[in-house]
Amino acid sequence: MQPDTAKNPIVTCRNVEKTFGKGDLAVHALRGINLEIMAGDFATLAGPSGSGKTTLLNMIGALDHPTKGEVIIEGKALSGLSKAQLSDLRLHKIGFIFQAYNLIPVFSALENVEFVLQLQQVPKVERRERAITALTEVGLAGMENRRPGAMSGGQQQRVAVARALVSKPSIVLADEPTANLDSKTTAELMALMSKLNSELGITFVIGTHDPRVMQHSKRHIEMIDGKIESDIRS
Amino acid sequence: MMNTFNILRPLAWRNLWRNPRRTGITLIVVVVGLWSVLTFSALLGAWAASSRDEALGLLIGQGQIHAAGYMDDPNIDHLMPPASPELTAVLNGDMVENWVERLEVPAVVQSEYKTLPITILGVDPAGELEISTLPSKIVAGRYLTSLDDDGVIIGLNLAKRLKTELGRRVILMSLGSDGYLAQQSFDVVGIFDADQSFEDNNVFTGRSLAQHYLGLEDEISQIAFTVPLDENLPMVMEQITAAAPDLDSREWRKLSVMLAAMDTSMGSIIYVWLGIMIVMISIGIINTQLMAVFERTQEFGLMRALGLKPKMVLILVTFESTLLIGVGVLLAVVLALMTVYALSDGIDLSAFAQALEEFQQAQVLYPTVNTSDFIIFPLIIWLLGILVALWPAYRAQKVSPVEAMRNAT
Repeated sequence: MQPDTAKNPIVTCRNVEKTFGKGDLAVHALRGINLEIMAGDFATLAGPSGSGKTTLLNMIGALDHPTKGEVIIEGKALSGLSKAQLSDLRLHKIGFIFQAYNLIPVFSALENVEFVLQLQQVPKVERRERAITALTEVGLAGMENRRPGAMSGGQQQRVAVARALVSKPSIVLADEPTANLDSKTTAELMALMSKLNSELGITFVIGTHDPRVMQHSKRHIEMIDGKIESDIRS
Repeated sequence: MMNTFNILRPLAWRNLWRNPRRTGITLIVVVVGLWSVLTFSALLGAWAASSRDEALGLLIGQGQIHAAGYMDDPNIDHLMPPASPELTAVLNGDMVENWVERLEVPAVVQSEYKTLPITILGVDPAGELEISTLPSKIVAGRYLTSLDDDGVIIGLNLAKRLKTELGRRVILMSLGSDGYLAQQSFDVVGIFDADQSFEDNNVFTGRSLAQHYLGLEDEISQIAFTVPLDENLPMVMEQITAAAPDLDSREWRKLSVMLAAMDTSMGSIIYVWLGIMIVMISIGIINTQLMAVFERTQEFGLMRALGLKPKMVLILVTFESTLLIGVGVLLAVVLALMTVYALSDGIDLSAFAQALEEFQQAQVLYPTVNTSDFIIFPLIIWLLGILVALWPAYRAQKVSPVEAMRNAT
């Protein structure tokens, strides 16, 4: 691990452990993770299935609690926060991109992107402007009123990226974002995320075992059996 | 709060229609359930009103005044004078529509073949035309024409039992004012068709003639009156009691306990039906809303992951139920109004005339909209529907966002 001491970490994991089940059936998904994600990182979290990538992303995304250890986001320890406080933290600090896009099917692309801003109580006019800008940035200008069912997988994932970015989160977490995409769309999506990282300084942590994703990475974290095996900045 | 509403309103509304089949089933359950309650309520109301009006219109009126003791021992010893000026003033007041004085005494009627117990009713034919439906029930011959009319009208079944007919003579025998048997023969001038019990027990003649035959002067045994608005009846009864404190005045509910019990039981029946419908609707709502929640577990988890608070998920699902049941309730009310309106010209039950006659029931029912039923029943269904939908909503609120992540990747 090579922390960038010039910046404050956005995410800090201190000796994080996660165990599912009890006794003989206990599965140790994370075994003492120590990690700092710095502002501007474009990190890939790689490793074979069952290595703990998704579990660690869930911890960083305030979706799950560690069995032991502490997760700190922008100086705030997650342990002790109520469900509503965790919801607030996710809403304002974290953007999510899922493998299966996970758009709200009854909303148009624009409404999906606006939804997060609406939860943040952003005024309507500003909300609409920011959502259109976000969709334009991901190359979906003119497709604002399409519903997810009328869009390709790549287009839906772009909407998900726009939704993750529109609220200006401190960090965007993506779990296998290209698993359902073809090579061309994967390349376009990764180019887009790299551009957003380099031009706007948005921090990304991407769980993947796709080499096409890893080649865009500036920081490669390898996990095996719930432990960080290597953490290399390029 | 407004922001929450603005966020959830379009989401809830669109979610309703994403599974049209399930929404349709729930709507059908609510619509059919509530429609049946409202329509059944209107029909039962019409039935009860018809039954009540038929019975009251025939003889009872909305109330009667008797001499003290007459109701316990209805014979010639418990008669009263005609209405006093004070009582007449009340009976001629705005709230009373019509009133008549009658002489009613127990008697026997004899034909060539049979002698049967009956009640003689000496009536004022002109007054009865205004207050009683009996004149319209004459099926042979004529109604009485004057206070001195010396004919009698008898019931269809009584005529059969006496083996007599129109134009034949019968003898009426009763205890006269002098304590001796008074008897007189009368021509059968009319035959009426009512329920069998009424036909068997009542024989009508002119009041003056009856008084004369019994050796009376102007004594009467009852004053019957009609009050068009039932809500005015208690006030009228108070005024009558004040004007004639020594007389026994009673409203129809106390004159015909059976009729009053039937009137009340109609209300009970509709509440039993409402209860059954509520159970059915509740099962339908819980079932479909639980299915909706299970199907959208991942979506609720996603929204939670994006930052939607648990209580907002609860509000969202409850809001969806509120809208769904609300739409169903509105449709049911409109449908029930249309049904009642379509039937308001009358439901002809003349095919069952004989059976209806025994229930003192008119052959045509006229359902009407009872405003309070059309407000209270939909509100009950709506509120209870929302209440039972809280359980699926609570389940939705408990969805873990990490489960959504796990299912999504």
